[in-house]
Amino acid sequence: MTRLLDVGLEQLTVMVYKSGEVAENAIGVSIRGFMNGKDATEAVHELSDILGSMTVDIENKAFELIAKYQPVASDLRIINSYMKIAYDFERYGRYAWDISFIQQKLANIDKCAVSSKLMQELIEKVSEMVSKSVAALKQHDAELAKSLADTEKEVDELYFSYLNQLSKARSQNKCGMCNLLVSRYLERIADHTTYVGEAIVYIATGEKISLR
Amino acid sequence: MKIFRKSAKTEAEEKPAKPSVLTSEKMQSIGLNAWFGEKQALKDINLSVKANSVTAIIGPSGCGKSTMIRCFNRMHELVPDARMSGNVLLDGEDIYARDMDPVLVRRRVGMVFQKPNPFPTMSIYDNVAAGLRLTGIKKGKNLDEVVKRSLKQATLWDEVKDDLKKSGTSISGGQQQRLCIARAIALQPEVILMDEPCSALDPIATAKIEELIVSLKRDYTVVIVTHNMQQAARVSDFTAFLYLGQLVEYNDTDAVFENPKNELTEKYITGKFG
Repeated sequence: MTRLLDVGLEQLTVMVYKSGEVAENAIGVSIRGFMNGKDATEAVHELSDILGSMTVDIENKAFELIAKYQPVASDLRIINSYMKIAYDFERYGRYAWDISFIQQKLANIDKCAVSSKLMQELIEKVSEMVSKSVAALKQHDAELAKSLADTEKEVDELYFSYLNQLSKARSQNKCGMCNLLVSRYLERIADHTTYVGEAIVYIATGEKISLR
Repeated sequence: MKIFRKSAKTEAEEKPAKPSVLTSEKMQSIGLNAWFGEKQALKDINLSVKANSVTAIIGPSGCGKSTMIRCFNRMHELVPDARMSGNVLLDGEDIYARDMDPVLVRRRVGMVFQKPNPFPTMSIYDNVAAGLRLTGIKKGKNLDEVVKRSLKQATLWDEVKDDLKKSGTSISGGQQQRLCIARAIALQPEVILMDEPCSALDPIATAKIEELIVSLKRDYTVVIVTHNMQQAARVSDFTAFLYLGQLVEYNDTDAVFENPKNELTEKYITGKFG
């Protein structure tokens, strides 16, 4: 017999998965705009707003389920983790918006990214982490989630190498400033993918671990 | 990037220093089996009850919860055709030893039942005093003091202090249950067993009993049988899950309700069976 809680959990799961898809899309649109020198601010702003609303809806649904059914064990772990993950997805959207915004304001939509190999590598790694975090969520795959830790270390190394490279430049132009900020946003997105990973491990195993 | 995220808890809070009195074993069952005729109700139960804690026993109907606590104060043997084997220790002493007086055991290990059962012909005062009178304290200031102290500990004094001569059954169900707890406390037991003490009460009365249970562990060791898992989660420090007469899982309550180790426990507490 299906528990009444199961119906609510299924609705919550659909909402969180959808939020993950929107977050991944927001970062994709933002990064493509950044790489190709195209203004994506309007589209990303809209997606970021949608993610904000989705987080509120997910929190409301989660509170409703807690109030109605007093869930415990795996049910409670899922609800608690979905609330955290929804927040992290909202942050993905916010950083995606920051990337597009700073590119528009500082760099006048120049193709700043192409000037640095490190930046391109950073973009590649972070995009991979975002996709992996969403996939791990959909499969409740703890091992895939744990694998985010290694990529996060690589992102950190790339970020600091890039900072080092920038600090040695004789002068900074707008593209340099734009890339500096974007690299920071990307590094923070990578951090949030590990938070999502930690929540997935908690759902799947009950273990509270740190992936950073 | 690693960032420093300080826990709201201090180190001392994370690793609380537990005085030995809090971690010592007050009661222990070793290889406990119990039968009603041919039917075995408990199978090889090994469980330690910590002193000054609340231990909840949960499990579906017929799993042996009530039988288990009835073995803890030798009430199981009062049922015709019932028998048991194994050991139950109270402060390391076997309560089923030949020289152990069952009446004394029941005085040291009190019981509160599912349905409030004050003596119907007695006043509130006499209900609390009844057990004491049997032990030789007949009347006087000493008796008054114990009755008052017991009613206060049962958080009932303020509600009945002006009506002590009224019948024990004239008060509400929740008050009657607290009266029964006061009656048990009056004998100054070391352990209080509670068999679904809130199942006949409304939510407000239940909340009062739950607050009382938590406060009682300062002075007593409490073992509670409950069908209400949220109640077990709220009031207990340790939770034992019984199924078909066997102890499936026994752990800190937080661990049982957050991340149970056994799949059967997980299924039971999440309502997937039972």
